[in-house]
Amino acid sequence: MCLAIPGKIKSIESQYGGLVRMAKVLFGGIVKEASLEMLPAAKEGDYVLVHVGVAISLVNEEEAQKTFEYLREIGELEELMPQE
Amino acid sequence: MKYISEYRDPHLVERYLAELHRITTRPWTIMEVCGGQTHSLVKNGILQLLPSNITMVHGPGCPVCVTPLHLIDKAVHLALEKGVILCSYGDMLRVPGSKMSLLEAKAKGADVRILYSPLEAVKIAAEHPDREVVFFAVGFETTAPANALSVVHAHRAGVKNYSILASHVLVPPAMEAVLDDEEGIIQGFLAAGHVCTIMGMDEYYPIVEKYKIPIVVTGFAGGLGAGYPHGSGTTRKRRIPARKPIQPGRASERQSRGPQSGRADF
Repeated sequence: MCLAIPGKIKSIESQYGGLVRMAKVLFGGIVKEASLEMLPAAKEGDYVLVHVGVAISLVNEEEAQKTFEYLREIGELEELMPQE
Repeated sequence: MKYISEYRDPHLVERYLAELHRITTRPWTIMEVCGGQTHSLVKNGILQLLPSNITMVHGPGCPVCVTPLHLIDKAVHLALEKGVILCSYGDMLRVPGSKMSLLEAKAKGADVRILYSPLEAVKIAAEHPDREVVFFAVGFETTAPANALSVVHAHRAGVKNYSILASHVLVPPAMEAVLDDEEGIIQGFLAAGHVCTIMGMDEYYPIVEKYKIPIVVTGFAGGLGAGYPHGSGTTRKRRIPARKPIQPGRASERQSRGPQSGRADF
């Protein structure tokens, strides 16, 4: 119950007569439904973080790259990078 | 997904660990707030990799195990009512009430169902208009919006036979309770990324200021350091700087400020 898991939006559909926007989200091989109530701008192909059936944030590759750079920064940069 | 493999590069982790050993000059006792982090620390062997003078203390308790007894009793009571379908997260079913757990109520014939999401309970209610569907809604800040959203879904769908039994708890007061303990030994926290995704980090600044302790927001996936972080609407790992003057009314500015560069203050 406590985990939030990143997955990719496979498709988006309306439910309850168009009142609710839901996505089919792909987690590895498993497809689950998630509400897009918190992420109205989310679209097909986006990566989202899903917690108990609700997509709570977008996860994008650019941010992942920034995170990686930050990890490099706090580890004092190049000396921690793998040798090419 | 890209960038996962980079975090799991063994050479990078090795060098990062060497650096961690180098800069750890005195003992630290750090609490990870969430069971997901504990899971990751254990599963990835991070507890063994850390310098021996860094001690990880595991969490103030999950929302399931801190659910008040009387609410479990209420859930059991409702489950045993005729015509009720009692739904909850799987974790909740084994927790004992004063007479029995929900799982034992199920064994006695109650219609108790394990769901992944409260939104599924609304569907069940829509499919069974002759039954009363109750969702036993436990959770921290992360889960509370989903539980509330299920009520919104029921309202929009005109589903009248759906209700929730709510037991929501907050993370920062639990952290403060730990810090207020006279025998407490916690010198820093790993805060849960997905809680901050919902709440932001503003609640942590006063705690950092009051107790003079560092708080780092991380996610749960293993790898480099505490791993691939999920938090604050972004995916970056954020260190909340200690002894930063609190500026009332400038929360939005604080929120938008990026992570501090420079050496991590381990």
